[in-house]
Amino acid sequence: MTFDWNVVWDNLPRLLEGAWMTIWLTMVTMALALPGGLILALLRLSPLRLVSAPATAFVEFFRATPLILQIYWAYYVLPAYFDIQLSQLSTAIVGLTCNISSFNSETFRAGIVSIREGQWNAGLALGMSRAEVFIRIILPQAVMRVLPALASTWVSLFKDTSLVSIISVTDLSYMALKVRSETYRILEVLTAMAVLYWLMGYPQAKIVDWIHRRWKVVE
Amino acid sequence: MERDRRWGELIGFPLGRIALNITLKPIIDSWPFLLKALWITVSLSISSMLLGLVIGIIVGTLRTYGGRLVNAVLGFYVDTMRSIPLLVVLVWTFFAFPLVVGRSLDAMTAGIIGLGVHLGAYVAETIRAGLTSVRRNQMQAGLALGMSRLQAIRTIVLPQALIRMMPALGSLFVIAIKDSAIASVIAVPELLRQTQIVAGKTYRPFELYTAAMIVYFLLCYPVARLVDRAYRRLQRLGSS
Repeated sequence: MTFDWNVVWDNLPRLLEGAWMTIWLTMVTMALALPGGLILALLRLSPLRLVSAPATAFVEFFRATPLILQIYWAYYVLPAYFDIQLSQLSTAIVGLTCNISSFNSETFRAGIVSIREGQWNAGLALGMSRAEVFIRIILPQAVMRVLPALASTWVSLFKDTSLVSIISVTDLSYMALKVRSETYRILEVLTAMAVLYWLMGYPQAKIVDWIHRRWKVVE
Repeated sequence: MERDRRWGELIGFPLGRIALNITLKPIIDSWPFLLKALWITVSLSISSMLLGLVIGIIVGTLRTYGGRLVNAVLGFYVDTMRSIPLLVVLVWTFFAFPLVVGRSLDAMTAGIIGLGVHLGAYVAETIRAGLTSVRRNQMQAGLALGMSRLQAIRTIVLPQALIRMMPALGSLFVIAIKDSAIASVIAVPELLRQTQIVAGKTYRPFELYTAAMIVYFLLCYPVARLVDRAYRRLQRLGSS
């Protein structure tokens, strides 16, 4: 068979538009899922079972079911049965944020728990309130510790955004699959899609490796 | 989309008006169909995990002991899989790969290959971390006893590494189950795909998708817990 790579060049602006949507979705979701994850982690660490149990259930549920199904569920069930009208893009952001927040919450929780009790005591002995100790002493150390894990989650999120194409959010994979069905240039367009993802994802994977080496916890 | 609000309407519910009219009929009616789909999900997850393990053990071992060139080449494979979404890998394997090799692939095979090759990269990283965590003298002791390098890796270092990496491999298996749902995009008749079909036919997305969600949870959650328990039992075998 003959290859016609012109198809790719002709449609490159649309593919790049999709690539921008992929990056935008990744950034917006992470911006929401970092505070989301922290709040969930704090709720889970609460001594009150009434607070910690629902948070635990939320986290375990979102971690133990496929993201693609969560997106479908949000897309088909929320508007029809709960009368929540969201655009495809908002549905995608809600789905991704709930999912990534759950993963982030486990990361934050591990980080917070890993800070030794003595740090709490030292802060309290200096006359700080518990909230102050948490914000000024515990949290900064915990965040530095879990930075590598958060970076890994960032890359998984970048890859997971491709799943929102199933509800027609115009990200890179949606655009590419659309160009494919318009031009029937399957091999060229799908390869271009993979290459574009690679061009964006490869440097990110390398940066994550660097973060892992640079901020590895050495006890 | 169906908006049936015959009963169960609560005014002033914070999420807006909520109207649930749940019927299990579509699920009961298509029970054998969905059970078969569940079986395909299970076999797809297990096959892709096995393929991922084979690829991962080979790649991870070669990267650890194979010298710089091998490490660089296989590192490229691993990092590529870490940077390309699984959806893209699956779609490429199913639609584009047959054009390259000139042979068509059925969806299930493409699904196993795509999932396995993607997962293999993560298994390889896990295995490599495990192998490097086993102390050097273990290898040297093996060599001193007259074993070949391969023998020492196979009988001494790898078993310890595998046991140490049990929790990580277990979470990869959970990921394999969850990721198998993405194979619905290339029409593998697994649980999510068949759920979509039934939901579309019966106009009952709430019941069907919720049921699928529960089934996936029941598959993944016990596996995660089981791995934790098995690890605690086997832990002492992995210490050196």
